[in-house]
Amino acid sequence: MSVSYSAIGWNRQKRIYDWMIFSCSLLYLIIFISIMAITNPDYTFETALIRSTATLAVIILHIILSIGPLARINKKFLPLLYNRRHLGVTMFFIAAIHGGFSIFQFHGLSNTNPFVSLFTSNTTFGSVSQFPFQALGFFALMIFFLMAITSHDFWLHTLSPKTWKTLHMFVYLAYALIVMHVMLGVIQYETHPLFVILISLGAVSLITLHLISGLKEVKMDNLSFDAAREGVVFVSDVNAFEEGRAKIFCIDKERIAVYLHDGKLYAINNVCKHQGGPLGEGKIIDGCITCPWHGYQYLPHNGQSPPPFKEKVSTYIVKVNEGKVYINPIPLAEGTETNGVMIN
Amino acid sequence: MNNSDFYIGWQAQAPASIARHIKRVIVLIVVSMVVIGLLLARSQKKFSTANFEFGSLTQVTGFYFNKPVPSIKAEQGTDRFGNKTYVTIPLVGFGKFGAEGVMDILEKEQGTSLNQKELTLKGTLLYNDGKLLMQIDENDKPLISVGKMADITSIPVQKELGTVMLRGEIVDPKCFFGVMKPGEGKVHKDCAIRCILGGIPPVLRVQNEKGEANYYLLVGPQGEKMNEAVKDLVAEPVEIEARAVQQGDWIILYAGKEKMKQISKRELFFPELQVVACITNCSK
Repeated sequence: MSVSYSAIGWNRQKRIYDWMIFSCSLLYLIIFISIMAITNPDYTFETALIRSTATLAVIILHIILSIGPLARINKKFLPLLYNRRHLGVTMFFIAAIHGGFSIFQFHGLSNTNPFVSLFTSNTTFGSVSQFPFQALGFFALMIFFLMAITSHDFWLHTLSPKTWKTLHMFVYLAYALIVMHVMLGVIQYETHPLFVILISLGAVSLITLHLISGLKEVKMDNLSFDAAREGVVFVSDVNAFEEGRAKIFCIDKERIAVYLHDGKLYAINNVCKHQGGPLGEGKIIDGCITCPWHGYQYLPHNGQSPPPFKEKVSTYIVKVNEGKVYINPIPLAEGTETNGVMIN
Repeated sequence: MNNSDFYIGWQAQAPASIARHIKRVIVLIVVSMVVIGLLLARSQKKFSTANFEFGSLTQVTGFYFNKPVPSIKAEQGTDRFGNKTYVTIPLVGFGKFGAEGVMDILEKEQGTSLNQKELTLKGTLLYNDGKLLMQIDENDKPLISVGKMADITSIPVQKELGTVMLRGEIVDPKCFFGVMKPGEGKVHKDCAIRCILGGIPPVLRVQNEKGEANYYLLVGPQGEKMNEAVKDLVAEPVEIEARAVQQGDWIILYAGKEKMKQISKRELFFPELQVVACITNCSK
């Protein structure tokens, strides 16, 4: 969360995170190439580079895609989400080394432009086993490229969070392309079953994680509330709330976070203006509702980010009657001041 | 998860329970990456022993023939009857190009045809599985000297081997015999197509059930180039019916496109279905 844009807003956690990414990537490349050199002495460095970067990029992609659902299932994974974009950009660079070097190796120094050659050399689109798999990898790399260059809050605000999020959801299409790239490429060549086992295991794990986290959210969204009475909806007993924390209620398909702060209940829209993080899963820090994803903050009584920040979300009217909490599900304009309601 | 278990990256310190959890996750990721890296690196197919003497130029003297493919026949020694023996060294160009372009330039420079003349050429050798090729690059000034015309009678004559039916994979010899590993199969298909379309002569690689292989230069029925014609069959299991002619240490297949067809991998790999594995003794 910053007022002006800088390339990277460094802090201690980001430094540690990036060092871990760098160290793990380097360790992987060293191990892969060394083992290849020892067990396959006739190897060539070009092939070792192409394969080590390919496998590393696929592993990192799996980690990236796991973090979201894991953080929804268990909040203790959230620190991995905070700086996930650095992991994404790193993955793109590693994939770009693989893609760039492969295009040069397989299509360069020829009588055709390498990028034209990529789409015109193998044209057996009608065959599964002979399908031109390299083109699939190229399209995935283009998606990763677009995601990497827009992985900054400047682009998030310039494109609007909705457009930005839509663009970044293409990561799932890229993942599908990568799986096909592997299945129709290296798995058609290698004979050891490990390759097909690992890629299948990765895909099944990701699908399972997404299903578990998705079902958890659907279950929460499907909680039904008493019919509206005098414009308000009963949601909970007051003793269900914990100071500094929120409960999330889905009313008319809108998620509302109700926070208990200094003995008062405040209701705001659950969706963070930054990347759509679940504000109700955050915590009050320094008097502000803090989004668990990237730490964007909002004041509980008006849904506005503290000055000089300008983000604001809708607020709602909360009522307490005989120990029961009611919400008026009609949102007030973003940033509207509310008084909150004492629970005692 | 209790109330204190919340951490956002810009905070100075994470609560102990979260820090402990993240440390465990990182250890798990590192261990998994090491194990996966080890397994993947070990599970790859073995690489061929092919060699490409990149950066090293060798001079070869022999008789140059531009048909069926540009090659040099270099004297190798004598057989038990005292006759000279020759090794045939097909020529390829730099990158994904055949040697014709370079030889055309050299012939223009010399103002005469170099066909059947004794040449000393400088180039980069590549070799594997008993076959030797040489890359010539215009930038290396490959022509060292031009000598006498070849005494055709001293060079082994062609030997007709009849019509054969072979099953194998069409490879580009430059990559397969040295420049790339792997230089065959699906992963190399695009490159092989690009090399063959660039003028590198296609070679049919036929393997028997023991993994032993023979290699056949592939040209049209009249000796014409088949590079464009075989494009869609490169790196695929194919069956080819052809007239086979032995020319020294290479066998040339003269085959029309209509005599080539794609077959399934099953037909290629099941020995009982193999019509002919090796029509001469396999090289290993």
